[in-house]
Amino acid sequence: MSDAANTRARTSGVGGDVRLAWLLTKGSDRREWWRVGLTVVGAAGAAGLGLVIAVLVPMNGQHHIGVGGGLLDEQGTRGGVVVALTLLLIPVFGFLGQCARIGAVHRDRRLAALRLAGAAPTQVRRIAALETGLACLAGSAAATAVSVPVLLGLWHDPDPLAWAGIVAVALLVPAAGAAVGALSLRRVVASPLGVVRRTRPAGPGRLFLAATVLLGVSALFVTAAVFVGDPFSLPLFGLAVGPLAVFALCLLVGASAVLLTGWASGRLGEVLAARARNAAVLIAAERLRADPWAAARTHAAVLLVTVVGTGFVGVREAFLAEVETGRREHTLGMSVSYYTNGLDLTAAAIGVALALVLAALAVGTAESVATRRRGLAAQTAAGVPRAVLGRALLLETALPLLPAVAVAGVGGMGIGLWYGSATAHHLAVPYAAPLVPLAVYGCCLLAAATSLPLLRRTLHPAELRYA
Amino acid sequence: MNNGDGKVPLLAARGLTKAHGRTEALRGASVELGAGEMLAVTGASGSGKSTLLHCLAGIVRPDAGSVTYAGERLDRLPERRLSELRRSDFGVVFQFGQLIPELTALDNVALPLMLAGTSRGDARARAGEWLERFGVRGQGDLRPGEMSGGQAQRTALARALVTGPRIVFADEPTGALDSLSSEQVMTSLTHTARETGTTVLLITHDAQVAAYADREIRLTDGVVAGAGVTA
Amino acid sequence: MSTRHILLGLLAAGPSHGYDLKRRHDERFPQARPLAYGQVYTTLQRLVRDGLAQIDGTESDGGPERTTYRSTEDGSRELARWAGEIAPPAPFVTNEIFAKVVVSILSGGDAAAYLRAQRDAHMERMRQLTAVKTAKGADLATVLSADYALNHLDADLRWMTTTAARLTTLTAEVDSA
Repeated sequence: MSDAANTRARTSGVGGDVRLAWLLTKGSDRREWWRVGLTVVGAAGAAGLGLVIAVLVPMNGQHHIGVGGGLLDEQGTRGGVVVALTLLLIPVFGFLGQCARIGAVHRDRRLAALRLAGAAPTQVRRIAALETGLACLAGSAAATAVSVPVLLGLWHDPDPLAWAGIVAVALLVPAAGAAVGALSLRRVVASPLGVVRRTRPAGPGRLFLAATVLLGVSALFVTAAVFVGDPFSLPLFGLAVGPLAVFALCLLVGASAVLLTGWASGRLGEVLAARARNAAVLIAAERLRADPWAAARTHAAVLLVTVVGTGFVGVREAFLAEVETGRREHTLGMSVSYYTNGLDLTAAAIGVALALVLAALAVGTAESVATRRRGLAAQTAAGVPRAVLGRALLLETALPLLPAVAVAGVGGMGIGLWYGSATAHHLAVPYAAPLVPLAVYGCCLLAAATSLPLLRRTLHPAELRYA
Repeated sequence: MNNGDGKVPLLAARGLTKAHGRTEALRGASVELGAGEMLAVTGASGSGKSTLLHCLAGIVRPDAGSVTYAGERLDRLPERRLSELRRSDFGVVFQFGQLIPELTALDNVALPLMLAGTSRGDARARAGEWLERFGVRGQGDLRPGEMSGGQAQRTALARALVTGPRIVFADEPTGALDSLSSEQVMTSLTHTARETGTTVLLITHDAQVAAYADREIRLTDGVVAGAGVTA
Repeated sequence: MSTRHILLGLLAAGPSHGYDLKRRHDERFPQARPLAYGQVYTTLQRLVRDGLAQIDGTESDGGPERTTYRSTEDGSRELARWAGEIAPPAPFVTNEIFAKVVVSILSGGDAAAYLRAQRDAHMERMRQLTAVKTAKGADLATVLSADYALNHLDADLRWMTTTAARLTTLTAEVDSA
């Protein structure tokens, strides 16, 4: 690089990149704004959860807090709430990940074009990081602005550690967003031409595999610890390991379900494509075969929620049986409503998680329609009935999800039974648990169906005009 | 041809107008297409060629004017019937996009037959014959992304013709091809149309492609500028 | 185009008589103007005069007597030289169409109408050539020579389209000069 170019590069710097990122976002089409908007919402959710956790963690001893049905008053149950909130972060991240995919193809092309026009890899990475980071900053700022007055209203003299936590969360969310934004572009940055003809990785990412192995090891470790001593009798260790074991197991079952979905989608696609008798099944099967991991990625969070939800129903049954025994034997420390309150709150959290996951699924399906709009319009122009394309779209979600949700359900039930057998004196069979995967499956189909109106609009011949 | 000899044209449009937002793509275009005829529509980019094709093929409804196909007013038919017509009586070929990227060439060609109720096996057998006819039988198991542009377009032609349509609408079918592939595609189209008596409406900006047609009309700013007819 | 060299080229395959040469020429170059027999005869005589060909003998298969010719050493050398020689890329194309456009502007005629009519004539010729090319059983030589003509007509056509779009500016320029 010449001296002049060097100077120019230095002076343009971050300020120039902010301007460029802003110009690119401003000039982009509606879908980019959807991404920004939904990212702000997701970041606000993540920051909100993080803020509550940050405030709860440094809290010590007995308090009287107006919210949370008494669960936040005591050290022990507070720990449980923190774990539940942490678990709730997973679907929020899933939602954020799905949002990042809106208009991803177009954004990748745009940034690759920037690279072709001579932008340095760091510059492109910085622009991408800024795009996501600024949206996350907006969300985190909004969440913080709401949370701080609420906190001050509830807690008159908060711990300095809580303040530190709040600042850390408010800054961490946009930083993490920016990092993810930059990371997701590593292929664009590596090759400015490579992404224009986008090739998908042939399997799950190495990162994902590594994370699964790590999870497996930690789950083994925790489970071993459970069997070596009875963790539920050790006051401190039990508190930490019990929920952690459940957390790790849930993640592990979820990860296996993703691997299974990816693998099963591919096989299912191949088998169905060879045998399909009608057009909708053929189209759906061939799309699965072409990119089985797209389905797996979209469904990862769904499967996690299925595992947690099914497991929870089992745990709830066992827990209630225990409470009932305690009530009869008058060994309960608190009123029955105190315990059921906790269960209801957890159920609500899982409900929120399910809603988030379904939103992510709907966004993912809509994105898959939007990316293919020209081809779809051409199909309609050629006389392929809209109903066939609509059925193919639903089948694409329904087919791979069926075995995966089944496995996730069985895994969740296993967790529930395991918990029940570990705590209860007599085994309570959670009859309601199988209903959870069924309900999740139904909701997923409904979420996918929300893209049908978009599909109908996409099939408009005006879309033929866009190359 | 159809002009002045009293025969009823297979497809006729009168005074078509169509606006996209504030841009007027068609401003009173009229055109007639005789049975078995191959008509080329030429004109500069933005002269309204594609919009004319969309109106004639019942893909979009004109703002004003009429489109009559075999005695039926296309501009008044409900969408369901139009979709049916496009499936049974019309075939379309675009510059690209009409093949489903995930399906093999054979399945892509078999698809219209399956939609019409033919069993998969029979559909694939007939699709194979059509691929053979267009010289891409050997590429039957490839997906559109794995074929050359010319092979993909010949597959698209096979898909458009496999149901035995009365009219094929081709919008810049050779727009993305080199001259040799373009020649192969056009020769395939011309031969097949002649053998099967299929009527063809061909949109192109390339005079060498237009020369395959029996007749040419030129669009300028949404109206038909002039017509040259082969004696 | 040099009829001498084309005849020399046809003779390179072996001795042949005038009528046969004409037939083979018309077959080999289907889109070229057919050779007149008289032209074949005079060209052959000149080739003999210049020592590039010589009389091989006479034959008569029951019909009239025919003189057969064959190429000489000099003839083969001349043919090789000609075949390897680069054809000049026509720096001064005689552009009748452009001349007519300018004249019609100068004389107050309708240049646009002329261009339209000329364009139609070009298209008509292109359709004929395409029909020849796509006829079942057309051999490659026919296709290639038709292509050559088609590409030249297409070049004219493109030039006419651009010119038609710029007639107003051209008229102003011609009128002010």
